[in-house]
Amino acid sequence: MSSANPLMPQTATVLDITVETPDIKTLRVAGSEGLPFDFMPGQCAMLSVPPVGEAIFSITSSPTCRDCLEFSIKDVGSVSGALHAVSPGQQIGIRGPYGNGFPVDEMKGKDLLFIGGGIGLAPLRSLIGYCFAHRGDYGHIDILYGARSPADLIRKSEIKENWPEQPDTSVYLTVDAEFPDWSGHVGFVPSYVTELAFTPENRVAITCGPPIMIKFVLQALDKLNFAPEQVITTLEMRMKCGVGKCGRCNLGPVYVCKDGPVFNLAQLNALPAEY
Amino acid sequence: MLKKVITRDKLPALWAHLSEQGPLILPVQDGPVVLFKPWQEGTAVNLDAVNSAVSPKDIFLPREETFLHYRSGNQQLELKAVAEEEPVIAFGLHPCDLKAIEMLDRVFMEQDPPDALYRNRRERTTVVALACSEPDPFCFCNDFGIDPTAAPGADILGHLTDSSLLLEALTDKGKALLEQAGELLEDGSGEQVEKQEIKTADFGLKLEGLPADLKNRFDDPVWDEIYKSCLSCGVCTYVCPTCYCFDVEDFGHAAEGERFRCWDSCMYGHFTVMAGGHNPRPDRKERVRQRFMHKLQYYPEVYDEIACVGCGRCLRSCPVNLDIVQAIKALGGEKVEQR
Repeated sequence: MSSANPLMPQTATVLDITVETPDIKTLRVAGSEGLPFDFMPGQCAMLSVPPVGEAIFSITSSPTCRDCLEFSIKDVGSVSGALHAVSPGQQIGIRGPYGNGFPVDEMKGKDLLFIGGGIGLAPLRSLIGYCFAHRGDYGHIDILYGARSPADLIRKSEIKENWPEQPDTSVYLTVDAEFPDWSGHVGFVPSYVTELAFTPENRVAITCGPPIMIKFVLQALDKLNFAPEQVITTLEMRMKCGVGKCGRCNLGPVYVCKDGPVFNLAQLNALPAEY
Repeated sequence: MLKKVITRDKLPALWAHLSEQGPLILPVQDGPVVLFKPWQEGTAVNLDAVNSAVSPKDIFLPREETFLHYRSGNQQLELKAVAEEEPVIAFGLHPCDLKAIEMLDRVFMEQDPPDALYRNRRERTTVVALACSEPDPFCFCNDFGIDPTAAPGADILGHLTDSSLLLEALTDKGKALLEQAGELLEDGSGEQVEKQEIKTADFGLKLEGLPADLKNRFDDPVWDEIYKSCLSCGVCTYVCPTCYCFDVEDFGHAAEGERFRCWDSCMYGHFTVMAGGHNPRPDRKERVRQRFMHKLQYYPEVYDEIACVGCGRCLRSCPVNLDIVQAIKALGGEKVEQR
């Protein structure tokens, strides 16, 4: 064959598995020589478990973590279900990285506001880790993260212990309703954004979560006078190839797998709203 | 370049010779329709047909192709690439289909990363084009500026007459094929092809400026009407030479099996449905819009050319006449009669 087949995965080993919530597990995955490939925050990988198939997942570890890739995976479909059934030591197929990743250079010198909901923290966490590792390049970091219930928050030790201790960093957690074991903030993520009244000056907001959360977060940021160029999100669509050909994630002239999944709101507004 | 000629009665001997080294894929009469199929002894080759029912895109993008075998057990997974290497001859492709292949080449070979499976097939295939001698009633390639008697991109261009087939090499690869056929072909250097003007159907289309005009018409109310007759059967995508959506699936069991890719269709509901159930193109409206916008606006925005070659296959095949001509007209791409 004249060149490598981009659809051809390599094998990688699931090193260990962390149960995050009742339906989310984090898999640590390594190739025979550590990282299967280099990547940037916001990029994705195709994971496969034959004969169930292949699906695309965002990489949740930071590229500064050199010994493995981490994937926080919610059990919602056939491939994610198969990945939930994997045991440590098992080999899976992996190919990537796919997508553009977050604009880490353009964000330099800015204050960063991360707004995540549920499993939507997964892609943000890669960037958060990257920013902590390049702390001098970025201004104040605010992380607002919410889930339906305290049990549905992922990466609990990081969000509660590790991240709040980072320099010049504030972490705000919220859950949708009152729970006996929860003494923190109660309320939906978008209203918490409004309540905290973040200012747009020299700030970039990066958001990911369920579509309904993103929709209202965008409205909240707009009311707080964030310009579309200051708001970044990452899209999730069904994908089969990851290389801009199979047609599923086509939005106007772009393919989300290749030209995305990270877009700022100005770019997104120029595309058909079909995601 | 090198020109050769062969009388029609000797063509079966040429087919037999060419198929010795690998698959020879050509238009074959299969019941009521013509399809591109591999030649074998007794195959009813039909070079006089204008357009095959299904486009020959499957020579380069097969309906299904296995590209890896897997074995697993004891937590280990072994993935082995599968690749075909034999040379292929694609014989009798008409200029519209060659133009469509040029459009697929951009997606599969020019866009990074190139698609190795597609490129492998392109590189090991010698393409013998066949000039059209007359259009069928559904042909409208003139609208797209395609010359039905020329075949840029082919290795050999054939001209068929009542008695013989003239073959002219356009590339070194084509020349090698003609030379290799040896005495089966006679010298054709003295043969002249009379330049024919082939006039394809005039459906009254006005394509100029259409892609730009559609740029901001994603939410146009016209989409609430166009899709209504669509049955979601997907035949338009199946026969279309410029449709290329595909799926990747596994076949086998836990211990061993294969991964293949196959044609898929943006006309199907499951095409974009996500694991959690969300579907960005939930209904026929969104899917019909996707297909026509891709042909008429999205593809042209990237490649500066409408992704239709006027082959007429969707006009022939769509059970409800929701073909691209109807869509173009509904979207305003229709000539207005001057009084």
